[in-house]
Amino acid sequence: MITTPVPSQTAAAKQWFLARTDLGALIDRLRESGRRVIGPIVRDGAIVYDEIQSAAELPAGWRDEQSAGRYRLERKSDERVFGYTVGPTSWKRFTFPPNLTIATAHRTGGFGFEQPAPDAPPLAFLGVRACEIAALAVQDRVFLGGQFTDEDFRARRAAAFIVAVQCTTSSSTCFCTSMGTGPEVRDGYDILLTEIDDGFVIQAGSLEGAAIVAKLPTCRPSHAEAGAAVDKVKSVRTQMGGPLPMAGVGGRLKLQLDHPRWALVADRCVECGNCTMSCPTCFCTSVVERSDLDGKSSTTERQWDSCFDVAFAKVAGGDFRARPRDRYRQWLTHKFSTWWDQFGSSGCVGCGRCITWCPVRIDVREELAAIAPPVEPIIQPVAVEPAAASPGSYSIARLASVRSETEDTTTLTLTDLDPAFLAGRPGQFVMVALPAFPAVPISISRYRANGIDLTIRAVGPTSTALVNLRPGAKVGLRGPLGTFWPIQEAYGRHAVVVAGGVGLSPLHGLVDALVANHDRFESASLFYGARTPEDQLFCEDLEAWSSGKAIDVTLTVDRAGPGWKGRVGVVTTLFDMISWDCTKVTAFVVGPERMMHASVQGLISKGVPADRIYVSMERHMECGIGLCGHCQMGSRFVCKDGPVFRLSELGDLFSREGI
Amino acid sequence: MDDYSAVIAMLNHTWFGSDLAPETQERLAKLGELQDFEAEEVVLREGEDATEMGILISGRLALRTLVPERGPVTILSVEPGDIFGWSAVLADVKTQSTVVATEKSQALVIEGTKLRAALKADHALAASLYPRVLQAVARRLRATRLQLLDLFAR
Repeated sequence: MITTPVPSQTAAAKQWFLARTDLGALIDRLRESGRRVIGPIVRDGAIVYDEIQSAAELPAGWRDEQSAGRYRLERKSDERVFGYTVGPTSWKRFTFPPNLTIATAHRTGGFGFEQPAPDAPPLAFLGVRACEIAALAVQDRVFLGGQFTDEDFRARRAAAFIVAVQCTTSSSTCFCTSMGTGPEVRDGYDILLTEIDDGFVIQAGSLEGAAIVAKLPTCRPSHAEAGAAVDKVKSVRTQMGGPLPMAGVGGRLKLQLDHPRWALVADRCVECGNCTMSCPTCFCTSVVERSDLDGKSSTTERQWDSCFDVAFAKVAGGDFRARPRDRYRQWLTHKFSTWWDQFGSSGCVGCGRCITWCPVRIDVREELAAIAPPVEPIIQPVAVEPAAASPGSYSIARLASVRSETEDTTTLTLTDLDPAFLAGRPGQFVMVALPAFPAVPISISRYRANGIDLTIRAVGPTSTALVNLRPGAKVGLRGPLGTFWPIQEAYGRHAVVVAGGVGLSPLHGLVDALVANHDRFESASLFYGARTPEDQLFCEDLEAWSSGKAIDVTLTVDRAGPGWKGRVGVVTTLFDMISWDCTKVTAFVVGPERMMHASVQGLISKGVPADRIYVSMERHMECGIGLCGHCQMGSRFVCKDGPVFRLSELGDLFSREGI
Repeated sequence: MDDYSAVIAMLNHTWFGSDLAPETQERLAKLGELQDFEAEEVVLREGEDATEMGILISGRLALRTLVPERGPVTILSVEPGDIFGWSAVLADVKTQSTVVATEKSQALVIEGTKLRAALKADHALAASLYPRVLQAVARRLRATRLQLLDLFAR
């Protein structure tokens, strides 16, 4: 924002070649233009930025090796000047000094405060990387983008001449590609250098830069030199690997303010503040008053501060961020989430300094992955085209096994199916027929690799005939039909399944899916009520689900003999044990309609939003495809528009008498 | 006071006790006694005088009614946070069902005579406790109505 861009058509926008031996000329021209040159030098075992007088002070031949908590310099035999990545200092030290007198006050000669005028010497920054240009732009937004501005910063930025350098190497701590800030320098510079074997491909990015370039002993680069410059930068992107999945991380972090990882990382963090001090965008400060002994004059000095400081959020009445976990959470969520809300960008540019200079090797990339892991894109499932949809047209399946669930309920496993049945979704149903028996709708209770389960209660002639079949028998199927459980609606939320009696059957597939994808949910719970212990379906599965960690299973029965040690009471009494934030619940409910009504009322009274409750309705069906009219419920056919409905879809028809 | 702080803390973790006024919690803690019950231990027996009310802190109790030719039938389980023997707030009432611990349990048990005397003498305590007992009973009544519907019947 400070530079005056060069129109791309001008000769100044073209590339030139500057021999490495002539780099000193660039420094000389910059100094002759009245600027002090700040560049990289080797000091105390690191490459830091400080004033230089000549090219001889540059870190020719030095490489840095960086990883979490580790930084080492190594001397190579070549003379590359910019063969390192970034060191512990950043350019903010010169645009936003660590210590700055922002006011003086006096009591002699009158009472008053004075604000010193900004003192911004013209500086030329030599060796600014893409991530560092991005960091300067971030601080531009912080200090100059709002109603109140930092005039000292404005003056220093205006006085800074940027000589950028393309990265031709990267460290393991670099992640600019993930933050969209590099490795390529694209704008924000006066002069851009790309270091190749014998020198630099150089181009101007502003009129001021063009004026300096014009005074350098350059020539046009050969095709090989220009190509080498492009290849060097490309190779860095390849070297860094694929970017981290940062899209949406801000929103995900906001949902994880109570994540247990905050406490774990805080246990490791020693709160040294290295991350904030080395960060090129962190801007928190505190002020220190320095008074003479008689108290007649004082200066107010602004100093860099850190949100990791134990007193950073302290007020007279206490400390708002008293725990280390609070402070770590503040830092990480600000950098990657709330910074967007405040300043329209991330507060992180991916330079990796906070990782390298962390003495206990905390890597923000790992913490983000643990606290706010990427959510795989939600693919809205669509119902598969059913096989043999038309009434009278049946696909033949073979009965592979028969398993008794309760005294009157049996599960049939069907195989040799049309693939459409295997591609069905939890909550869908099939129309099942036998010769001489009318077709009946039966929920698919389970999807297996080569078959489906139908759990059938013998209540009529067809269902009785079905449960009396033996393995090897054949049945006619149409389907899968109807709507299905929108499991993706529960991603990131508490998934609550409420089942009553044989209502567990259409929910079995959903529970299987919750268990298989449990990482996607805040939690998963099954509340299952049956008439007696002997009436519970899927006892083996209930035991397996209970013993796993993917879903919490709570069972109750309406009545029991003395041998039953579990809960006794209707299923709605189980809601008393819900302790989580019910506004974050997505509930799936199946059972007798009166039981669903009581459950829905119970869930809503606990705070579950009505549009986050799904029910599966049961109605008389003949055709299963919305043609016979039997299952009409208001403006909907339960077979075609249901059986799974969002509660709000049903409105006041739900559980209304006579519908 | 310190002697009861642990009991008050336990009450605060119960459905029944958490919404009671702090003074009521303290009175209950002082009136009651923490009792442990082994699995299958009978806490109250059907038909006997209702002599004590309890707030279950941990474990599980079964309310059982004897049905001729069917033996004892569990009609409700009392879960941590709920009360049992609530009829002890009334004088001269018989216990309606047998209360059995189905697992190792702990409860704050308050003797009925002491409870009734305290409720009679302390109107603030009565004003705080009666609505909560009524809520507990109403909740149980609602659930019992659903049970009576026998929704899962064939």
